[in-house]
Amino acid sequence: MGYRVGVDVGGTFTDIICVTPDGDVILDKTPTTLEDQSIGVMNGLAQLADRLDLSLSELCAQLDILVHGTTTADNTMIEMNGAATGLLVTEGHRDEIEMRRVHKEQIWDPTYPAPPPIARRRARIPIPERLDYRGEVLKPLDEDAVRRGVRRLSQLGVRSIAVMFLFSFVNPEHERRAAEIIREEFPDVEHVSLSHEVMARGPEFERVSTTLVNAYVAPRIASYVGQLQEKLRSAGYAGQLLIMQSTGGVMPPEYVSRRAVSLLASGPTGGVMGSALTASKAGIRDFIAVDMGGTSFDVCLVRAGQPEIKTDWNWRYRYYIGLPMVDVQSVGAGGGSIARVRQGALLVGPESAGSTPGPVCYARGGALATVTDADAVLGYLPVDGFAAGRMTLDVDAARDAIRRDVGEPLDLDVVEAAWGIARIVNANMANATRRVLASHGADPRDLSLIAYGGNGAVHAWAIAAELGIDRILVPRTAPAFSALGVLVADYVIDLVRAYVVPLSQVDLGRVHGLMEELRDEAGKELGPTGLSDDDVDVSLYAQMCYPGQNFDMSVPVPEGERLDEPGLLDLAERFHDQHERDRGFCFRNQQPLVRGVRLTARSRTPKPERLAHAGEVRDPAKLRKAARPASFGPDLGGGMLEVPVYDGAHLAAGARLDGPALVEEPFTVVVVPPGATARLDDLGNYELTLS
Amino acid sequence: MNVDLVQLAGHRGRLQEQPVVDQVTAEVLRGAMETVCFEMATYVSRTATTPILNQSNERNATILDGKGRLAALSVGIPQFMLTSTLPVRFALEYLGVDEFHEGDVFAANDPYHGGGHLPDYNVFAPVFGDDPVTGERRMVLIASIQCHHGDTGGNVPGGYNVTANDIWGEGVRWPVVKVIDLGVERRDVLYAMAANNRLPDYIGDLRAQIGAAQLAADRLGTMIDRYRVDTVEQSVDYMIDYAARRFREEVSAWPDGVYEADAYVDHDPLGNPDIRLHVKITVDGENLTIDYTGSDTRDEIQAWSTYGNTRGYTVGQIASMMDPEIPKNEGFFDQIKLVVPPGCVLNPHSTKPVSAGTHHPGADVGEVIAVAMQDVLPDKAVPQTYKTGIPTIIVGVDPRTGQSFTDHSAEVYAGWCNAGKGMDAWGAQNASFGNLWKATAEINESLFPHVQWSRDYRTDSGGPGQWRGLCGSHYEKEVLTDAKVYTYVVGMKYPMPGICGGQPGEPNKMVIRYGSDDPFPVQHTAEWVPIAAGQRVMYDYGGGGGWGDPLDRDPQAVLDDVLDEYVSVERVERDYGVVLRGSLEHLTLEIDHDATKRLRAARRTA
Repeated sequence: MGYRVGVDVGGTFTDIICVTPDGDVILDKTPTTLEDQSIGVMNGLAQLADRLDLSLSELCAQLDILVHGTTTADNTMIEMNGAATGLLVTEGHRDEIEMRRVHKEQIWDPTYPAPPPIARRRARIPIPERLDYRGEVLKPLDEDAVRRGVRRLSQLGVRSIAVMFLFSFVNPEHERRAAEIIREEFPDVEHVSLSHEVMARGPEFERVSTTLVNAYVAPRIASYVGQLQEKLRSAGYAGQLLIMQSTGGVMPPEYVSRRAVSLLASGPTGGVMGSALTASKAGIRDFIAVDMGGTSFDVCLVRAGQPEIKTDWNWRYRYYIGLPMVDVQSVGAGGGSIARVRQGALLVGPESAGSTPGPVCYARGGALATVTDADAVLGYLPVDGFAAGRMTLDVDAARDAIRRDVGEPLDLDVVEAAWGIARIVNANMANATRRVLASHGADPRDLSLIAYGGNGAVHAWAIAAELGIDRILVPRTAPAFSALGVLVADYVIDLVRAYVVPLSQVDLGRVHGLMEELRDEAGKELGPTGLSDDDVDVSLYAQMCYPGQNFDMSVPVPEGERLDEPGLLDLAERFHDQHERDRGFCFRNQQPLVRGVRLTARSRTPKPERLAHAGEVRDPAKLRKAARPASFGPDLGGGMLEVPVYDGAHLAAGARLDGPALVEEPFTVVVVPPGATARLDDLGNYELTLS
Repeated sequence: MNVDLVQLAGHRGRLQEQPVVDQVTAEVLRGAMETVCFEMATYVSRTATTPILNQSNERNATILDGKGRLAALSVGIPQFMLTSTLPVRFALEYLGVDEFHEGDVFAANDPYHGGGHLPDYNVFAPVFGDDPVTGERRMVLIASIQCHHGDTGGNVPGGYNVTANDIWGEGVRWPVVKVIDLGVERRDVLYAMAANNRLPDYIGDLRAQIGAAQLAADRLGTMIDRYRVDTVEQSVDYMIDYAARRFREEVSAWPDGVYEADAYVDHDPLGNPDIRLHVKITVDGENLTIDYTGSDTRDEIQAWSTYGNTRGYTVGQIASMMDPEIPKNEGFFDQIKLVVPPGCVLNPHSTKPVSAGTHHPGADVGEVIAVAMQDVLPDKAVPQTYKTGIPTIIVGVDPRTGQSFTDHSAEVYAGWCNAGKGMDAWGAQNASFGNLWKATAEINESLFPHVQWSRDYRTDSGGPGQWRGLCGSHYEKEVLTDAKVYTYVVGMKYPMPGICGGQPGEPNKMVIRYGSDDPFPVQHTAEWVPIAAGQRVMYDYGGGGGWGDPLDRDPQAVLDDVLDEYVSVERVERDYGVVLRGSLEHLTLEIDHDATKRLRAARRTA
């Protein structure tokens, strides 16, 4: 056994988690290098090697696996600096991408601007061709028009081409032929995305949006991954690089480069996968995973150990992504969120001071009061800085800023003002969580909370209190939890083939054929991983809905290719049951529609025994440092209380603390309010119980 | 049966004499209530069964206080959300608060008891808490969810009987009925409602609304228990006061004066021409009066927007002209002095049919306000309206199933979206409708026997201006079976106006049996016009108006528009005074700056 390393790139820090050959877990951070994230990744590896008293090449030589979460795709969309992209599209449907099914984000603001275009109208070429909903040809593909269109795109400087023809997911012939013509006419095109390959379902707006984003980011991902692989090779790493996708699974670079869109929003999924493992070890099945960082707050609902997967309404950077993703929703709430009084109302976020200039108390040039400043004034944060943070906090400056920005305009003293900021941000996070739960019909009171991220440990208790949750887990690795998550994520492949037909008219031969096709494709994709068939769990599903519905439900088909005529009747019943369970109703006398066949392949990666470094001191009293004043609001003792502070780094499993208490870990503080208790479990989680 | 809607909509006092709540708590509760609205709307989306709810997203969630004042809203169409409070007030005042019990749920749809038009069903549930003084349970809030249903009984399927003689001819009226009594479903009532509706899924959708209202009552009940009744009521007062204050601040920044304008609807569904809207807007310090005196009063016309509907559209337009962050609640309503003479098209007597009038002249209220205010609020005057007439309804028998179908044409198309100062119009429709989520070819072609051949922007249809109006769609749908078309078309004579010197958008144009040797260009209505399998419905949707003088448009933006075919080479000189050289085909187009300067100078002096 060698070392196993997870590296997750965030907006501020690149987080590293290393599981050593003897099972210890090491956490580290290095600044993110935005221009080229691979520099930060290599810096992180060098820093880690240093801590292990190894050279970089020694570490690389002993590395079993390196798993990577990258925000390159997200950054491409934030900065809109992807490849020059063009579109070939069914004539008459050239403008779906602009019309967006009428959706606009700001209904009260007519001056809210258009999303920046990926392909301007001039680079969207209408092609005469048309299939009907069964895939029958209504109008044959005009190949000359395709040739002219491709030449036009080349003339316009396009480097990457998306193709979206109506109903191509039912019959891909026209798109495939268009791809051949593109290669003939424009041999050095960097990338071609065919809509039926990127997203094998309707409707067309969702598909064209997803396909355009894929075509736009794919060349960037390919070049980034290439650079990183090159750097790793020259550092002596000969093993596998795996990359985190928004499905919550990892795959090799060849796979993800073609499905670049699946890297979008993959950042927060690492933490969710880490929390799923943590929860399963802790015996928790239903919980909310929340990640509070510097600028954003990410929420995901996990039930029965499975993160909710979202196939609808995934908007990222103002484009719709119609692929299944772990349902992580983000709002602009974090340590850097700026507090201000506007027209008499106290607002916190979504604007963020980020890490530069950062909160006022960081003394890096930040001048506006932030959530972290409020946390400092409320006494939660260590004045002399985090052990590993190499930075002291200027609490006086934070106090001045809060007094000026919030206290004076609202006529509050500085602690009241800081508490007001904390309340608003906590309420914003609780409301964001409720919205996520609403779309799954879940009640927070039935759930536990797993909180992580740089600020998760500080705010977990307050978010839980807002939501009526009494059981909270804060992993010791919370500040770099996403890196742990990418390291423990499994291989996941998710493939769909469309076949739209009423259930009663299903051609079983065709279904079996599609299943075989999917198995072949999965086998090809998994080839480079070196996994044996025995290591891979394959699940087959029928994608089904009632006529007129707008979404597919995946109904498991454990029979696989043995599905027979009587099995179809059973499948209908299973669909009705599942529909009733998930949506609250079903129509047993309606004939369901089959819309496709889906395959997921999953292979487990090795999981570490422990999820955090274990300390050696079981009695917290021995780790007690000086107390400091802190406030938990008027309901919990009012003003400043003298709160004991503990050095958490040395705490051993089984340690128990009663609130109020502050437990300092190398990169964060676990806040335990009055009336609550905290217990450090065997896995390395602080388990908080609110009274 | 004559409810005084003006009185119904009138000012209601505050809940608590002395609000002492701190504003952070008030903000926290406001966020919580808006989240509950979102939960209500999401619940309906998850559980509704018919396309009109789960495909086009047309649902509006609001929370009212115990006096029937709007406390919070979210997710929906502003104009409709703002209209959806009056049916609740009617129930409160007619039944009295004593008939609101914990566990009750009510339904209502009647335009003359506060509603917009009959297909819009409000479902609402009271929320109770412990009175801080007596300790007894009492009503504190009301959660309400409104949805547009695909049928409402009456003479014509689809909910729009645009030529009905009176309101009774349009469908079944439910001023208010209790559908859940102390937590128990009123089977008799729901059965009666089901019996008066063509759609088998109607009750299922109504139940989705009931479930949403119950969910909201549960969530709000928990909130009230936690924060206590007086804190919640003071917070509602606080937020309403806050909205009112912010509203007055906005108005006081507007130049004082009297601003008037007219707008016209081409004709009513009977063909009576030129339905006139007149508005006189008086800005006097922080006071805003909107007076529709002078609007059409012809008794024979068939275009009536109820007072509640007119009020919703009015507030929706005004809200779009203010800081979007001001909370939308009763504070908004209370600050507008609204004068709508009884008997005019914007406040009809209580027998008039309204199904077409909800849209026209209802929606045109936004246009007339924006036009009136364009010179004083040039950067805010974007009419939040549409010129849809009514949706194109196609009925027939689907040869694939042998079942009859009603296609509401709830598909995407672009139309009527004006430019604003500093911004070309974009997307498909105005921002107000941004919460809609309309169907597409790949959805509807599997549901209905038709093929959607086109909905592309049509070149040159957006109104020229310094900022360009949005192009309208060229829409073509081929029916695959013999069918009949029912619709009402406006915006042919009066397209979307230009603002501050901008030019109007191109008008609407609709032809049934388009391209055949027997085309039917719609003059005002199509009442079950036959169309044969293989024939097409064509709708050139009107463009949005431009903003500002087109001669001031940046020539580079004009060139870009030509490259993108929003504007044709042929129209550049005429519409924008820009002279181009080279060829679009060969991508060699460039601006002839000297010639452009000369042409624009000559045009300006002409």
